[in-house]
Amino acid sequence: MTVIDPARLVEMANQIGDFFAPYPEQRRVEGVRNHLRNYWDPRMRSDLLAYVADGHEAELLPHVLAATQLLQTEADGRSAYAGPPRFES
Amino acid sequence: MPIPVKPEQSTITTCAYCGVGCGFKAETSGGQIVRMTPWKEGKANHGHSCVKGRFAFDYYRHPDRVRAPMIRASIDDPWREVSWDEAFAYAAGELRRIQETHGSGSVGAVSSSRCTNEEIYLMQKFARVGLRNNNIDNCSRICHSPTQFGLSATLGAGAASQHFDSILQSDVILVVGANPTEGHPVFGSMMKRSVRRGAKLLVVDPRRTETVDSPHCQASVHLALRPGTNVLVLDSIAHVVVTERLYDEAFVRARCDWDDFELWMSQVGDARYSPDVVGPEAGLDPDDIRDLARRYAAGPNSTIYYGLGVTEHSQGSTGVMCLGNLAMACGMIGREGVGVNPLRGQGNVQGGSCLGSWPHMFTGYRFVTDAATRAVFENEWKIELDGEPGLRLPNMFDAAVAGSFKGIYIQGEDPVQSDPNRHHVEAALRNMECVIVQDLYETETTKFAHVLLPGSSSLEKNGTFTNAERRVSMVRKIVEPVAGLEDWEITVGMINAMGYELKYDHPSEVLDEIARTSPAYSGMSFDLIERVGSVQWPCNTAAPEGTEVLHTVTFPRGKGSFMLTEYVPTKERVDDRFPLLLTTGRILSQYNAGTQTRRTANNAWYDEDVLDISADDAAQRGLHDGDRVRVVSRYGETELGITVSGRVHPGVVYTTFHFAHTMVNAVTSDLNDWATNCPEYKVTAVEVTKVTS
Repeated sequence: MTVIDPARLVEMANQIGDFFAPYPEQRRVEGVRNHLRNYWDPRMRSDLLAYVADGHEAELLPHVLAATQLLQTEADGRSAYAGPPRFES
Repeated sequence: MPIPVKPEQSTITTCAYCGVGCGFKAETSGGQIVRMTPWKEGKANHGHSCVKGRFAFDYYRHPDRVRAPMIRASIDDPWREVSWDEAFAYAAGELRRIQETHGSGSVGAVSSSRCTNEEIYLMQKFARVGLRNNNIDNCSRICHSPTQFGLSATLGAGAASQHFDSILQSDVILVVGANPTEGHPVFGSMMKRSVRRGAKLLVVDPRRTETVDSPHCQASVHLALRPGTNVLVLDSIAHVVVTERLYDEAFVRARCDWDDFELWMSQVGDARYSPDVVGPEAGLDPDDIRDLARRYAAGPNSTIYYGLGVTEHSQGSTGVMCLGNLAMACGMIGREGVGVNPLRGQGNVQGGSCLGSWPHMFTGYRFVTDAATRAVFENEWKIELDGEPGLRLPNMFDAAVAGSFKGIYIQGEDPVQSDPNRHHVEAALRNMECVIVQDLYETETTKFAHVLLPGSSSLEKNGTFTNAERRVSMVRKIVEPVAGLEDWEITVGMINAMGYELKYDHPSEVLDEIARTSPAYSGMSFDLIERVGSVQWPCNTAAPEGTEVLHTVTFPRGKGSFMLTEYVPTKERVDDRFPLLLTTGRILSQYNAGTQTRRTANNAWYDEDVLDISADDAAQRGLHDGDRVRVVSRYGETELGITVSGRVHPGVVYTTFHFAHTMVNAVTSDLNDWATNCPEYKVTAVEVTKVTS
């Protein structure tokens, strides 16, 4: 059982992709990756990855798909953090 | 004429109704509140008040109050009154049973901006040490979560840059998607005062509100844009600033990331954001867009105030970023009279954002994925913490519908009435095995509850609120809580019942803990607030009595960041079946879902939600003032009376959402903000037809 309906996850991921679409390629992909990494419950991330791996790649925007691939290949996405800023003062 | 009761005692406290946070003297006689008098020394209100804070206080002794804890095994069973200890043990037992069966992440909690900072902090502590997960959210998810995201991304801090009095030093006031004269009336009065002193008022709002045109308050420019086109219009304003070189290059070079500024200029400077292109799509005269942009950029001191008309969109966070970008580009940040300022809805929405009731953040907007931040709390709480984000409230409901989320502890919220897509929320709650609600009254949500914990109103407890200008003020107990416990004591009871031993003798000890773990609150204490009246964060060794204006020298991250804000039209569209756009808002005398104000004499001023419709649209449908109509969207329907109004343009209808039986959230769409899942309450395609029977 998935934590949330996969169609909803795809819709949310592509909405995030729409925001980062105008950025240069690397920031576009890393922006999506960072957002998923820092704001999504890990079950949502893993369900999205499983759904994509099950033959649904075409449902994601290309840079969102690339971001999910980064999530899979980077064991420690946290060290590559470059998303929306922290408030540290 | 009755002789007024002479009060025996007077206690200073803070109004809980809106984000202004007015100081009041609560006057009592015979153990009951007889009068609320605005406090002249209150730094947020300077002795002013509105009709909610002044008169709508009797709700605390309304017969509807829940006066004892109650439990039931099934929502079809009658309630059974129990002791506090039995209620805590039953609730905790159910949550533990669910976690053993369905996993640690199958339960969560949500805190309320009607509660104090200390209570909100304790709710996130409940999730993290009691449930041992990060499934904690707060009600700003459905109002100002895009503020936290959008202002953090651009300016580095998800909060107002100014104090309220700063507006008296403004030459230009830009109000976007807000109606302060109704929603934040005491601040609205100050805004009018600034306008009377000569400040020029610019308004971006689909409706011709009182802010646009009322005695002592006329806007110089009003962009009555089509609902859903905020980002398009704000990008067009930026286009004028960029192409006419109205930006403050010296400020940007000194204070902001120049490379990001150039990237942003290339985006908004493109011809697709020219007023001549944007105007027709947004329903505006291109020259009005230019006029507004030129006036804002010219200042010399221009300030921005905005509300839910910006945030409650599928591009809510992007809209907030547009405002941060605009202020930085024109050098309108970091001194008196300028800035970017969210007008918060509930009394403690800012506290709800600051105090860590987020699934991805601890207090002070620090990520749970950050090991150093986790270490601060692990050291304080002596427990290992989950380093992964939890579920947001809308995702908890999604997960409940999918069958993977089974239990929730809701503090002082009524999501069935106030959250988007009522049918979805009802289905989610019905799918859960244990719903715990802590509230003043039985509500639409308690119909789905298994445990009902009688909450305490803001008149029955001690603590602090943080208002929309980051001002932390005292909330003082005026009368005893009807069921014996203050809200913070209830949550402590729940934490202990979950097996994590915890003891506080007074909420001041909770604020001390917040100060130990949260840099922006590090100098804060009850003693300090008692001594100086109220304190704006950041309050620390560099600013021991707080900070009125943010970003004066640097931004929290050093440089300000220009974010790209490409316009992505909402998927909610009008068509032949649903040709009108419904947008929503508030009225002066009622408050949010109306839970409190509906139980006071304020109903004499407004006792029913009404639909505003233009004369053209009414005539096309054969409608007249006072008719009852059916409002139908792709998501649901409801019935309302109508007012034929000059406040809305043809193609737009408007209503408030103060009354449970209206069920406005059965009509509004379930689209939401890309970054935060804040619902798009402000744009729903509908049709309106006369009710004939």
